[in-house]
Amino acid sequence: MDIDDILAEVSSAALIAPGTRDLHALTRAWVAERVAPELLPYPTPLLDRVLARISEQVRSVEDGMAGGADGLGGAATGGADKEKFRLIVVQTELERWKFLVRGLLRARLKKIDAHPYHILNTPDVLAKLSTSETQYLRAHQALLAAHYKSSFLGQFPPALQRLDDTAGGVSMIDAPDVDSAVFVRAVRDVGFITVEGTDTEFEMKRGDVWVVRWRSVRQAVESGDAELI
Amino acid sequence: MALPLPPSLTPQEVAFLCEMELVTIIPRQKLQGLELLGGSTPVLNPPQRSDIPLWLALLLKRQRRANIVPPAWLHPTSLTAILEFETEHSKEAFSPPPKLPPLSDALHATSPPFLPSSTAEAPPDALPYHWLEMGEILLEAAPEDFEEPDHVRRLMRDLREVRMAKLRTGVEVLDAGGGVKMNGVGAMEIAEARAFIGGVIDGLRKIGASREQARREREAEERENGFLGTQDDEDDDMEL
Repeated sequence: MDIDDILAEVSSAALIAPGTRDLHALTRAWVAERVAPELLPYPTPLLDRVLARISEQVRSVEDGMAGGADGLGGAATGGADKEKFRLIVVQTELERWKFLVRGLLRARLKKIDAHPYHILNTPDVLAKLSTSETQYLRAHQALLAAHYKSSFLGQFPPALQRLDDTAGGVSMIDAPDVDSAVFVRAVRDVGFITVEGTDTEFEMKRGDVWVVRWRSVRQAVESGDAELI
Repeated sequence: MALPLPPSLTPQEVAFLCEMELVTIIPRQKLQGLELLGGSTPVLNPPQRSDIPLWLALLLKRQRRANIVPPAWLHPTSLTAILEFETEHSKEAFSPPPKLPPLSDALHATSPPFLPSSTAEAPPDALPYHWLEMGEILLEAAPEDFEEPDHVRRLMRDLREVRMAKLRTGVEVLDAGGGVKMNGVGAMEIAEARAFIGGVIDGLRKIGASREQARREREAEERENGFLGTQDDEDDDMEL
């Protein structure tokens, strides 16, 4: 071991490992997506990294299992036991990461299913979807529309067949309620938050927990100064 | 396959988050460091204490490979002191959360469950964000690592009742704009009260929606009038 290795070890101990960073970010993203009333931007770089890490770990577990099966006859029982336990730990952690990813994507799917026309008609929201989510949304809606048309909409007068009618002052397009109350915690000092249309105004300092309308803290959450809890 | 749950965290999900917290263990056998996705684990060398995530500690505990050192705030004396503070000195607000470590890395500010608030070195005088889950999980999985598990259990129950009562009386201050400060609240308490508090605030907002809308319009109008008004004055000046 030369001096560079020692230095690298010291500095990596002081800094946070990239894997740990991703775990923190993924956990935060999962919680935020679970509790936010509307769809949040798809964290493309984070999920790309996380999925790459997961598949790499799956490969190494498979290698480890193959190696364990080969070495089982020759190795001492104590060694084989340790190796088995190591694999259990690695797999447990792997499942925890997979749960986070699955939870994040399923929470997003729920919101996509809940407000399909709102998303399709609002370019800003559509930009928050990943490529496969957009693909799913379009294909799913095309299927649904065809099904509704053949089963009952086709028998309605043509003027009443639309699913996204906004005429007559009442819109058929449901949108998420961005004024819902959320629990939010400041990760850094956020500054003053004002709630539009009311007298509510307050300062949010690092570590503070507030219950407030999503609309008034959305910007702080998206910039990473605050997190949903 | 969309998630069939309303926007909130279930108690199981909160416990899952809690399992990411670091706890201190005393290993009973050697174990090499493991390269995990979320970083590497320390080399376990009995009887040296190490800090590892709770989920791993539980795994080791179940296989009798380690003992867990309960955090200092889970000690009966600390819990008694916190309970006294909650009932005597802070009748409305929760007791304050543990002090945050200084912000060393501006880009990467950590927050629970990744703060070391349940290790053996954690401050004894404050309940961390995941206190209820952490206490319950440790009492369930490792009662023999506590000196007086029944006493701790009783104090935890008292604390929980005192704090739930505060949460319930706190509902009176809710209004349509939200903006309620809840420092010191626990994760499980949020999970329990989220639907109710959110429902009250949203309901009040819907009742007052027309008044709020009128106010917003009036303010917009005032802004406009104010602007026009000054312009008119200028015009007058010009004429004079």
